[in-house]
Amino acid sequence: MSEKVLAVRDVTKVFDEGRQRVHVLKGITMDVARGEVVALEGPSGSGKTTLLSIMGCILTPSSGELELAGRRIGTTDASALREVRRRSIGFVFQQYNLFPALTALENVEYSLNVRGTRGRAAHDEAKRVLERVGLADRAGFLPRDLSGGQKQRVAIARALAGSPPVLLADEPTANLDTGVGGQILDLFQELAKSEGRGVLVVTHDPKVRRIADRLVGIRDGRLVADETEQDAA
Amino acid sequence: MVSLARKNLLHDRLRFVITVAGVAFAVTLVLVQVGLFMGLLDKSTVTIRHASADLWITSHNTPNVDFARTFPETAVLRARSVPGVERADNLIVAFMNIQLPNGALEGALVYALQDFSAWQLPWNVPEGAPEDLRRGYSLLMDRSAALRYGAFAVGEQREILGRRFRIVGTTQEAASFTTTPIVFMDYRNAQELQETLRGNTTYVLVKLAPGADARAVQAELKRRLPYNDVLTRDEWAMQSRNYWVKSTGLGMSMGVTVFLGVLVGIVIVAQTLYTSAVEHIKEFGTVKAIGGSNLDIYRILGEQALVAAVLGFALGALFSYLARPMMAAIHLNVLLTPGFSAVVFAGTVLMCLGSALFSFRRVASIDPALVFRT
Repeated sequence: MSEKVLAVRDVTKVFDEGRQRVHVLKGITMDVARGEVVALEGPSGSGKTTLLSIMGCILTPSSGELELAGRRIGTTDASALREVRRRSIGFVFQQYNLFPALTALENVEYSLNVRGTRGRAAHDEAKRVLERVGLADRAGFLPRDLSGGQKQRVAIARALAGSPPVLLADEPTANLDTGVGGQILDLFQELAKSEGRGVLVVTHDPKVRRIADRLVGIRDGRLVADETEQDAA
Repeated sequence: MVSLARKNLLHDRLRFVITVAGVAFAVTLVLVQVGLFMGLLDKSTVTIRHASADLWITSHNTPNVDFARTFPETAVLRARSVPGVERADNLIVAFMNIQLPNGALEGALVYALQDFSAWQLPWNVPEGAPEDLRRGYSLLMDRSAALRYGAFAVGEQREILGRRFRIVGTTQEAASFTTTPIVFMDYRNAQELQETLRGNTTYVLVKLAPGADARAVQAELKRRLPYNDVLTRDEWAMQSRNYWVKSTGLGMSMGVTVFLGVLVGIVIVAQTLYTSAVEHIKEFGTVKAIGGSNLDIYRILGEQALVAAVLGFALGALFSYLARPMMAAIHLNVLLTPGFSAVVFAGTVLMCLGSALFSFRRVASIDPALVFRT
């Protein structure tokens, strides 16, 4: 069995909204293995972004357990969770969330600075990951001068910087046309297979199935399906 | 290391320019206003600082050098008899009316001594010489008087309290706190002009013998002149300055000006930094999501505030220093010392960092989960 890099066990999340308690996640158990691409599908409001936030150590679960690279993340201490994000998780967002005032290279380098890598080491690593996503020739461009696909590649490069074992992507192809979206998905698949990262992609996009090793469905805060790509086919 | 703070500042140039201009305005306001005030205060003690007297004997409770009161001139004899006193002379300081060629009357602050050279008064004499004052009814008039009295030249005559005086020379920098020009004349001539001055003086200037103990001489003079005050040069200068600062409300007025300047700076910097912070909220959320802390974001805002402070101060100080010659042309002295400039710089940095605190509260509450919201 492949080594699990990310796992949740019986996770629940309850939000207090005024006098109401909203149960967003109702006992979720799932995992992502090294070198595996997992697609998390579900309609709006099903709880997939909340699950992604918990697996990304941005939110803490109301109950249940989270494991990262075999280590239990049992703390609710914000600084400890921040440290986990800094070392082990790369995020790719639907809106790219690049810093508009920074060039492509600086976006990646700044992310490394935040993660504690400074100076020449950060600069060289930023160049390396930009090359890795095929954007070496756009290193000096500001986000406004890049196409949607290029912006998403910069965002992926930023997520890769520091070599975190886990990549979490939130609707990474939602703002891209079919061709460019396909290229981005291929890149995720390649990063999982050639570098052994665990990749979790939250999506509405059925094309993600093409690269996913497993499809996980979520409805009303519960998993409704967990099947391999072959099963789905 | 990539500076997101500076890159963001330069990315939004208009806001950056407004912020720096706001700080520069506040700095200019404070530097020029307080510089003018300090320049005026400087005038309030200009003769005390330039006269070579170690001690001043004044009438009891004289508030400042301009508002002199009379006492018998024989006091000088007692002063001369005190061991440790090398020289003591009477000095008359009195407001008198001067008649202008157009018939108008203006005020003049008369300084009268028997031997001006012995006391290094006046200290800046571009035309004529203090010794010329011994020749009949003659006077030295400060050049700043042209602003109040109209143009004048050496050789012309002016009437003071009905007596014609010949202008035998000019002085420079001799103007009182009230901007009344100072006129120098012989001691006996001054006494002749005013009934109340006959047999009286307003000050006795005292020069100490080499090696004399100033405190001991001062104590002995006080003992022998119980109806007078005896002050060292520094004490007298301080008393004269304090009078104008405390008794006239000018100090409070300056305080309000400085407060308003700082308030303008705080409002502009706080407002622009806060708006910037709100507009970059998603970026700060991203910083937190990728592992950054509140401290990382505080550093960004702090660095932006610091850049605004340094550039705003540089610009404001430049404006203020450039304004000095223009002010000097209308005989207004903007006194800017390195020490005062350093204090204003430190204040500017504190003001800008303080303004950034308003944004700190806002960014501290950013939820990194907002990065998943579209």
